[in-house]
Amino acid sequence: MKDKLDQLRQEFLQDLQQVHNQTTLHELELKFLSRKGALSKMLHSLKELDLSARQQFGKLANNLKIELQNKFTEKEATLNINQTHSQNIDPTLPGFNFPQGHFNPITLMQNKLEDLFTSLGFMVLDGPELESEYFNFTALNIPASHPARDMQDTFYIDYPNEHQEYDLLMRTQTSPMQIRAMQKYGAPLRAIIPGRCFRNEATDSRHEHTFYQLEGIVIDKKINFAHLKSFLEIVGQEMFGAKTKLRMRPKFFPFVEPGNNGEYTCFLCQGKGCRVCKYTGWLEIVGAGLVHPRVLEAGGIDPKIYSGLAFGFGLNRLAMLKYNIDDVRLFNSGDLRFLEQF
Amino acid sequence: MYISLNWLKNFVKIPAKIKPTTIAEELSTHTVEVENLIKQSAQFDKIVVGQVLELEKHPNADRLHLVVVDVKDTKLKIVCGANNLKLGQKVPVSLIGAHLPTGLEIQESIIRGEKSQGMICAEDELGLGRDHQGILVLNDRARVGETFAHYLEANDIILEIDNKSLSNRPDLLNHYGLAREISAIFDLPLKTYDDFLKLDEGVLSSASNKLAVKIEASDLCLRYSAIKIDNIEIKESPDWLKNSLIAVNQRPVNNIVDLTNYVMLECGQPLHAFDAQKIKKIIVRRAHHQETIKTLDDQERVLTNKDLVISSDLAPLAIAGLIGGQDSEITNTTQTIILEAANFLASNIRQTSQRLGLRTEASVRFEKSLDPELTLIALKRFLTLLKKVSPQVKIASTLFDYYPQPPQAINIDLDLQWLQDKIGQEIPRKTVINNLQRLGFIINSEQENILKVTVPSWRATKDVHIPEDLVEEVLRLYGYGQIKSQLPVLELKLPEINQKRLLERKIKNILVWSSALNEAYNYSFVGETQLKKLKIDFSQYLKLVNPLSSIHNLLRQSLVPGLINNIKINQFQETNFGFFELESVFFRAPGNQLKNLESTATLPYQEKHLGIILTGTDDLFFRLKGIVDNLLKNIMTPQTNCEFLPATNIPNWAQKDLAVKIVVRGKEIGLLALVLPEINKNFNLKKPVAIAEINFDLLAQLVFSLPGSDYRGIPKYPAVRRDISFVVNSEILYNDLRGEIIDFHPLLVNVELFDVYQGDKLELGKKSLAFHLSYQSSDRTLRAVEVDQVQKNLIQHLNQKFSIKLRDF
Repeated sequence: MKDKLDQLRQEFLQDLQQVHNQTTLHELELKFLSRKGALSKMLHSLKELDLSARQQFGKLANNLKIELQNKFTEKEATLNINQTHSQNIDPTLPGFNFPQGHFNPITLMQNKLEDLFTSLGFMVLDGPELESEYFNFTALNIPASHPARDMQDTFYIDYPNEHQEYDLLMRTQTSPMQIRAMQKYGAPLRAIIPGRCFRNEATDSRHEHTFYQLEGIVIDKKINFAHLKSFLEIVGQEMFGAKTKLRMRPKFFPFVEPGNNGEYTCFLCQGKGCRVCKYTGWLEIVGAGLVHPRVLEAGGIDPKIYSGLAFGFGLNRLAMLKYNIDDVRLFNSGDLRFLEQF
Repeated sequence: MYISLNWLKNFVKIPAKIKPTTIAEELSTHTVEVENLIKQSAQFDKIVVGQVLELEKHPNADRLHLVVVDVKDTKLKIVCGANNLKLGQKVPVSLIGAHLPTGLEIQESIIRGEKSQGMICAEDELGLGRDHQGILVLNDRARVGETFAHYLEANDIILEIDNKSLSNRPDLLNHYGLAREISAIFDLPLKTYDDFLKLDEGVLSSASNKLAVKIEASDLCLRYSAIKIDNIEIKESPDWLKNSLIAVNQRPVNNIVDLTNYVMLECGQPLHAFDAQKIKKIIVRRAHHQETIKTLDDQERVLTNKDLVISSDLAPLAIAGLIGGQDSEITNTTQTIILEAANFLASNIRQTSQRLGLRTEASVRFEKSLDPELTLIALKRFLTLLKKVSPQVKIASTLFDYYPQPPQAINIDLDLQWLQDKIGQEIPRKTVINNLQRLGFIINSEQENILKVTVPSWRATKDVHIPEDLVEEVLRLYGYGQIKSQLPVLELKLPEINQKRLLERKIKNILVWSSALNEAYNYSFVGETQLKKLKIDFSQYLKLVNPLSSIHNLLRQSLVPGLINNIKINQFQETNFGFFELESVFFRAPGNQLKNLESTATLPYQEKHLGIILTGTDDLFFRLKGIVDNLLKNIMTPQTNCEFLPATNIPNWAQKDLAVKIVVRGKEIGLLALVLPEINKNFNLKKPVAIAEINFDLLAQLVFSLPGSDYRGIPKYPAVRRDISFVVNSEILYNDLRGEIIDFHPLLVNVELFDVYQGDKLELGKKSLAFHLSYQSSDRTLRAVEVDQVQKNLIQHLNQKFSIKLRDF
């Protein structure tokens, strides 16, 4: 029996030497290692031996099986390596193509700011895009006869009320949600309101009738101007980098008093002056102020106890600055050549 | 609005070290944004004074001259056609490279064989008038070589300010108001305006005739001052007056009209001069319904009884606060005028202005609520200047001044501690007082910590009413940059999480990242043409009153039109691609948001939709189903049962046999369909298109009401898999077959379709389906015989129910 095993081993090793490609390797496998191969037959024949011989040769046979299999695997591996080399595959060829989708850059901008403010304990609120004159203007301290209504060209809805007046409109700002939020949550309040707004103005590369704002409001006891400034600084630094500086100027918004414009140092030229900042070194980004007491009252909050700050900016403008986009109409264009870059 | 720096300097002495750029910057930082600084001399760049040294006929042209002019540094040869040229004249010479206001750029040229190195200019070519009779001959003051701007003394600097940013500051729409701000900002002395009202004693009372004025609409007219002036001689205004107006972009007309404009631009009060000849009486009244007036801009205007007019006893003379009428227009033959300085109710002027679509220099000022104190001041200023321009004029009536209710002064108590709380930093008491005083506020008394402040009349009409307004005054003068920023200390509170917003974000992430879709932001407005092409009924669509165009005049009720457009504009660049949008749609039905706080009326119903569109070559419908199924499983649970069932309510743009409703946990949330070929044709779409539109609000409700699902233990006993393949009539739906199989026996735990065939190898009207079936028990290893029996019964059951025919492999 032992001789038979040795002989099998010899034969295997001899044949192994002749193996130079996959075909001969496969033949070798068939001849010796397959289910009907020589080794199998040999193992099968062990059954016919008596118990002690079976134990003795069984072990030998098993060792042989392991040896042959190892040798086979070794050979297989060398063949594979040689084969790979011989085929000369170019590893710099591209991987499989997984198609990609793309976000609108406004979404990216909005997500970033939502994350910033939720980390500071702000709620993120939504409001109706089709609003009433009351919430969009009147409650925000812009009575019907106030010329400030002209500051915002408004789309009115052809759905008159019982007095045959047009009192519905596409919101011109996210601020009506300030009132709705105050009415719902009361004080203290910390919220941002991102969303779509509308102005009735002809579009060109710098004007768009549909655009996006993000508005923030903080109402608490003793909220003051220094706090407002601080929030604006945080926004600037988050958007344009840690060294960004803030400059505030007076600007009239009826729903705040005092009312301000916030400008940041131009992130492109670091305030030295360039094309983007029109050589002023500053970028006008944010409108802000301390919430007007009449607005607090409209929201059902007592201005003697609470005060508030509010700020808002255009996400389109932020995205245009951040990505150096020169045409505001691209955001709503659905042009893949634009979207594919984000 | 344009503001002349030279004009400002009449009222506040600005030291030379304060540069115009500094003035603009500081005004922007403390008062209002200066949008532009314009150098008046810029329009005369490269134009100098030259002297005619030689003058001879052009050898090749009868009407041209060859001129040599001395421009100090050099002598230029110029070909010139003017016939008023004389030796020794001083003339304006445009050098090579000059841009004339006419748009002409001067270049060296050869005219009929003779070189010309510049151009000698006529008045019209310099934008100074209409004269083109000959070249402009300069007076003795001209010095050879000096710039023409210098000769003209066009050394002004103009500040440009956007009127819109002054809607709360009626006091700043004029030079004196801005001079007041500059004096406050730089702490420079301001001349009192009384110094400019130099009328000889008794001038105003020199006549005894009374002017007949009747104020009928006293609620719309707060003050009406007027006076009659005789001996008027209409002529061109003197240079100083014309130049002042030209500097701020006002066209000079004649001495009277120019003076009314000048006074308005100086102190802010609009004035109107009527030709008094035909006027016996002035009545300030509401217009009659449909009353008409031909206004100075040559328009026939139809009025309503809400409009205020200045009328004679016969017909309206002017629309109050807006524009005069032609009947009483100042003409070259005017000899007597009635000068009006009035104060009208701002909201009424604004209403009329809006209704007529007419904005004038006067209405822009009136609608912002002017200081009623101004009328007499402006009248006196006009008379002062008129006496200077036309000393022969005579006052022909007593001064009429209707002013029944001078407004009460506004007094505000300013608590300094409160002020500090608002600012977040202490501003020294002295500084607070000083800042307010510099702006014209009067500090009446200073109790311990409370200032009693009186608001000056020019700030008291609308702008400054409450202590908060004073915070701004103090702060803006102090400088916003002086305040140290400081985050508030707030109570730590868990904010209410906006689950819907998070879900939106999750959906967008899944669609972009795992389904390779692109995010569209389409307009909320759609147009009839577009909807007609989609065969969408828009009779119930909400409309805009004032759309920008007819393609954007309706409020969308579906995201489909926008998505179709997304495909259309990209189909020439790409073949297989898709978009999604998650945005609002609007309906003509009451919604759930209140319209105001006084009633229960609500806004129209609005909800968010999720729309997905795919275009490309193959299997669009099923690819889209896969995308939706994957999305729903991702935002709910992997076990969520999303069904796509034959739809009943199919939109007109959808292919009837390939339209399914999307049903999740028994609730219909949307529709998925292939777009009809004819619709594709309507939009010139090249490839088939599939669309899904889901009601996001409903979907969100389902997501938020998901019951908690317990983990189910990993099965202890192996599943036994059997395949089954059969032929069945084509109209029998997979959905029904699957349902029948999975419900057949408790041991059947999973049914998975792995092949569908329909074609040549089968009879017409038949299809073949193949399923993997998994049998599994939770309490034992299943034996083959057991499984075989269930499968056998199943086949029998399917056979009975659907007449299936087994296939062999």
